[in-house]
Amino acid sequence: MAGVAWHYVLKFIITGDAAVGKSSLLVRLTDQRFLSNPDPTLGVEFGSKLITIPEESKVVKLQCWDTAGTESFRSITRSYYRGAAGCLLVYDVTSRQSFLNARTWLADVRAHADPNLTCILVGNKIDLCAEDGQPGRRPREVPADEADRWAKEEGLLFVEASAKSGENVEAAFVQATRDILDKIKRGMFDNDRSPGVKLSRPSNNTLTLEDDSTRTRCC
Amino acid sequence: MEFLSQTYIALRGPTGAPQSPADTISRLADRLSPSTLIADRRAAVLSLKGLARDHKADIGERALPGLLDVLQNDAEIDADIGKAVLETLNVLCEAEDGASAAARELGFKHTDQVLADEKAAHKIFALVGEQSFYLRFAALQYLATVLQNRRQVVQGHFLKAPAGPTSFIVILDDKREIIRNEGLYVVKSLISQSPEIQKILAFEGAFEKLFNIVLGEGGIDGGLAVQEALACVDGLLRFNQSNQSYLRASSLPPLLLSLLGYPPDLPHDAAPPQQFALQLWDDKQKRANAALVVSIIGILAKSTGPNAHDALTFAFNRCLVEIGLASNMPTTIKTQALRLLPTNLSILPLAHMVLTPYIPVPDTNGEEWDWLEPASGLDALVELVLHGEYNGILEGERRTKDGMELRAAAMGVFQNFVQKDEIREAIVQAMVPPADASEPAPVTPLLYALTAPPAQPLTSAAVAPTHLAAFLFAHLLRGSPRAKALALSIVPRPSSQGAGSFFVPADGAPAAPEPEAEEADEPQSLLSILSEHLSLALLARARADTPEREAREWDRLLVGYLTLLAQWLWEDPGAVRGFLEAGAISMLVEPINQTADTDVAIPGLCAFLLGVCYEFNREPGEITRSTIYPILTRLGLDMLAGRITHLRDDDRFKAVGPDTVVLPYPGVLAPHPAAGAPKQETDEAEVWFDWAFVDFWKSNYHTIEKAIATDPNSLSASAGQDTAMMVASLRDVIRNQASEIEALQAQLKSLSATAQERETLHEQIASLSTELQEAQEKSREVEKEQEDLLVLLDELNVKRRRDKARMREAGLDVSEDEGDEGDEDEE
Repeated sequence: MAGVAWHYVLKFIITGDAAVGKSSLLVRLTDQRFLSNPDPTLGVEFGSKLITIPEESKVVKLQCWDTAGTESFRSITRSYYRGAAGCLLVYDVTSRQSFLNARTWLADVRAHADPNLTCILVGNKIDLCAEDGQPGRRPREVPADEADRWAKEEGLLFVEASAKSGENVEAAFVQATRDILDKIKRGMFDNDRSPGVKLSRPSNNTLTLEDDSTRTRCC
Repeated sequence: MEFLSQTYIALRGPTGAPQSPADTISRLADRLSPSTLIADRRAAVLSLKGLARDHKADIGERALPGLLDVLQNDAEIDADIGKAVLETLNVLCEAEDGASAAARELGFKHTDQVLADEKAAHKIFALVGEQSFYLRFAALQYLATVLQNRRQVVQGHFLKAPAGPTSFIVILDDKREIIRNEGLYVVKSLISQSPEIQKILAFEGAFEKLFNIVLGEGGIDGGLAVQEALACVDGLLRFNQSNQSYLRASSLPPLLLSLLGYPPDLPHDAAPPQQFALQLWDDKQKRANAALVVSIIGILAKSTGPNAHDALTFAFNRCLVEIGLASNMPTTIKTQALRLLPTNLSILPLAHMVLTPYIPVPDTNGEEWDWLEPASGLDALVELVLHGEYNGILEGERRTKDGMELRAAAMGVFQNFVQKDEIREAIVQAMVPPADASEPAPVTPLLYALTAPPAQPLTSAAVAPTHLAAFLFAHLLRGSPRAKALALSIVPRPSSQGAGSFFVPADGAPAAPEPEAEEADEPQSLLSILSEHLSLALLARARADTPEREAREWDRLLVGYLTLLAQWLWEDPGAVRGFLEAGAISMLVEPINQTADTDVAIPGLCAFLLGVCYEFNREPGEITRSTIYPILTRLGLDMLAGRITHLRDDDRFKAVGPDTVVLPYPGVLAPHPAAGAPKQETDEAEVWFDWAFVDFWKSNYHTIEKAIATDPNSLSASAGQDTAMMVASLRDVIRNQASEIEALQAQLKSLSATAQERETLHEQIASLSTELQEAQEKSREVEKEQEDLLVLLDELNVKRRRDKARMREAGLDVSEDEGDEGDEDEE
């Protein structure tokens, strides 16, 4: 049977401006393929993936909620921030505006999400400004070191990736996962208390569900 | 009590004069203003609550804004006032189904007023998150009411509410049963038709909580809470791809199987345990719960996504098959399970699956069960279609609606299973006698049922196997020329031989009387057996003394034969010839010619079949198109066309849809109308046509209508002018293609010529380059040689000069050197 064994279940959200490639990143992660012409996401879509963190010898199940970047869905997508343990904040390296808007998105995430949330800034579409001038190439508008500097200021992780080539996509998730695992080790996420992190006994009998007591929140 | 008397005094006023309700209400409404003491406000709300039921309109008009203010400002601080204001609002907004139109209108109006401001809705969601029992409960009840009235508006507010989803998940964890149950009810209507809310709740862990409830309440043996929780799971999944993949990727789905007692990790070759197959199903609640679990399994089994062949999908589908064919689950659940099997059955090796069907021991009231020999899934399926659940032991003569629905569902599975040509052909092939052996092919249950001679008097129980076998056989043949060709060579053992006692082993000495027996009872082909039974049935039907109920059964049998033949003979001239030679014309003409009959189905089908015979009679034989044509004209072409079209108007034909095959049996024809027929007869049901035939007939009857009017000598009258046009267009296509081919060939030729040229050029280059190399080498050698020679010459020159000098010294005569000469010349 689906003998899935994992040590942790982590909830991730992917957010950022419309058309920066959030859905493509997720599909690249889960299906190892590139969506060449995706439709805009309506509301939220779900995808999941098991990854292994070798040095911790931990198997982690990522539950990713890919949110819509379009303004009209803002209020809906906000509902997902609170429950997440990790966040991929995506911008497009060939669009300065999307990088500038990342500030707004970050503010939004900070306002609604768990304070311990790990956020990684992902500059997507680096394949478009690769050195060898292919057709459809677009100039880079956000220098890597500028983004890196801003990420450091805000305490974010940072990586540049390409959903098309697959470069750094899994790495981005792995990097964020490591950070979360590290936080767990330091006791910042109390397993029972954060909705975004769930400890699961490996290869547990699927008949028993974790009985996690949930706390009431008033927001 | 104290506050009541105080209120009373306040209301009575100083004069004690009688007051109108409107006055009282406006006075109470004034007291709701925030400037008063909270105790006063509480008293006012409670009084309004008491008046609410009788003076809805007045309170709505005067006090609603005040109540909403109280809700906004005080409810959270003071649980009593919160509860009271919510209950008052609840009364104001109620719009019960039974109430008068005006009252309902008022309820809707108040609901709209409350929901006009999203703040009120958000406050209610926040109150749901409160710990206080009464407050939480009242908030949930009020939510249930407004959801019922204006679901979409509430859903819109919910998506924007800051505290929305989280508080609901908390409710599902509430240990207080009343709250949790009310919460389940609210969640169920909240998620209805809103994929966004469904996703958010899934994100917040609703699935986990709901399954916790199901498990905590004892699985499918649990009560109403289990049913509600499962209904919520169903609601979260249905039409929601994202949630389906979420749940599939979680560890929960195997739980669904274990809820039914089916081990999720059952090995492929092991039979499911008896506690799965045989359970007690007397409890109505358990049936409802199990039905929900099965429907959820069905959703997940269909949403395969990229991995259609994973173990989970297989386990789901196998579980559904086991439920349908080898369990004692309630008939409706079996039907549901079979219907939920995916239409693309290729992932399920139905023919290789081994099942152990169970049947109840007669007269034990379903308490004792026997298990039958293990059978392949396909055999069990065919058995179920032909003979009904448990071989009809429980139902006996009666055809209950549930039982017929189950057989129809099994028919659907069979139809899906034989979609692939290879599978159909393999099944038909198994009925064909092997070419070399003297031994006829074994009679499969399907063939046996199909060729069973109609018993007299005919009962419904006897008709069903043959009638349904005709449907199954039609599924095998429809649209497959190869399967039709194979079917022509089926020669079943004469059924009179019964279990084959006659039978001489192939290696044994042939018994002496055998040849005679052969002559007397020569094995007939399937087609001729069918036509013989058809004519028998037509005769029996025409007899005047047949009771009405039995005549109906004869009609049903005829429908089976006629629909099968119509689909078999379609586009199969070989089968048409066989059928005509078996005396088809006279047998078909008879019922068409009947005038006084009210029944339209049989004449219509006969006319259609006659048309098919005429249209596809394309092979030379005794009966040609020219022989049939005069018969058609004598019957009247218009009349024939009319008969065909009238089939469309038959109620039994009209009622059939893709999902409705089973029709209620008309009560008038109940078997003992005089003897005060028992009420249960009303749920008796019957099958006449299947959708596949209706579909076939609807797409083809027009062709036949036209075909009967065409001249016997016209070549392909498939559809009269249409065909001519089609032929012309096809000719055009062929001509175009031919010219295209020509052009392409020419192109190919020129291309191959150039290719050849190129090749020779290549060769030339190669040879030239080697030649060149050789030449270069040679020239290099020559050069070297020359150099050597020059050196030698030089040496010789030197030597010669030296010798000359020596000779001159010696006074010898020496010839002038060239060099010297040159010198002289210069001088």
